[in-house]
Amino acid sequence: MEPKSSKLRQEQKQESIEQTGAQENARAFSSVEEMLREDAATNSPPPALAHRVADSIAREPKPARSWWQRIFPRRSSNP
Amino acid sequence: MASPIAMANPVHGDSSFVSDGPRRAKAGSVSPPNTAPVEGPAGGRAKWTSPEFGEIYEEHSRQIYYLALRFLGDPTQAEDATHDVFLKAYRKLSEFRGDSAMRTWLYRITINHCKNLLQTWHQRNMLSNADDAIWEGAVAGTENPLRVLEVKELGQRIQKTLAALPEEYRLLLLLVADERLSYEEMAALTEQSADAVRGKLHRARKAFIAHFHKSA
Repeated sequence: MEPKSSKLRQEQKQESIEQTGAQENARAFSSVEEMLREDAATNSPPPALAHRVADSIAREPKPARSWWQRIFPRRSSNP
Repeated sequence: MASPIAMANPVHGDSSFVSDGPRRAKAGSVSPPNTAPVEGPAGGRAKWTSPEFGEIYEEHSRQIYYLALRFLGDPTQAEDATHDVFLKAYRKLSEFRGDSAMRTWLYRITINHCKNLLQTWHQRNMLSNADDAIWEGAVAGTENPLRVLEVKELGQRIQKTLAALPEEYRLLLLLVADERLSYEEMAALTEQSADAVRGKLHRARKAFIAHFHKSA
């Protein structure tokens, strides 16, 4: 009986370790929005995308200035 | 009851469209094929011919990419879509009148672009929309926190859950996750009243939670 009991204790200990590990990795969210925000924070656009967009824009003709830009021309931030 | 969307549009993790070669929706996209991403020198910052537009990209690209990623369900398509959205925005910058926030304006372009892509994809595959009533009647234990065992599985389960929801619910949930958007701005983007947005969001959250539990 002793070896069987020892094996049972060992299995229980292993199970407990696995549960603890799972709890450490587990994450609970109080709302759908919170979960989606966490997901958004871990999904950044690839860094190469900025270069791709910048390259495409460099090949574009310069866009016309909008009406508000024509009326309120950009002022230098330095006085 | 089986979900029509889940059967018609199965999602396997974050790359459902990738493994789906013949069904990929490329029509309507104005981007060049994303086969050779342009890497900057030593991964440095992009060189913008228009620094102002570079600032716009830096400020909004994360949210635009995320909306495209979860709306389309595929990182490659999301990258192409984000590229196309910012290119369109650059071309139409003179039309931006400043009576809405830049973020809202970019969201409008993104939503239209992604819907066009999905429509083309659905038409090609003759898929039908899900019955909203299935999700409106969903009973969810809202007192239970949304729990995932591994953080790494979060993205896959969110994608799977969103893919099973009606398109309108998916869009509203993705928009409400952006804290910078008001209900009024969401209403304008989805062409309905703010009260309608609130009501549908309530049902969308319940549907999301119900399906999220099922996806475990």
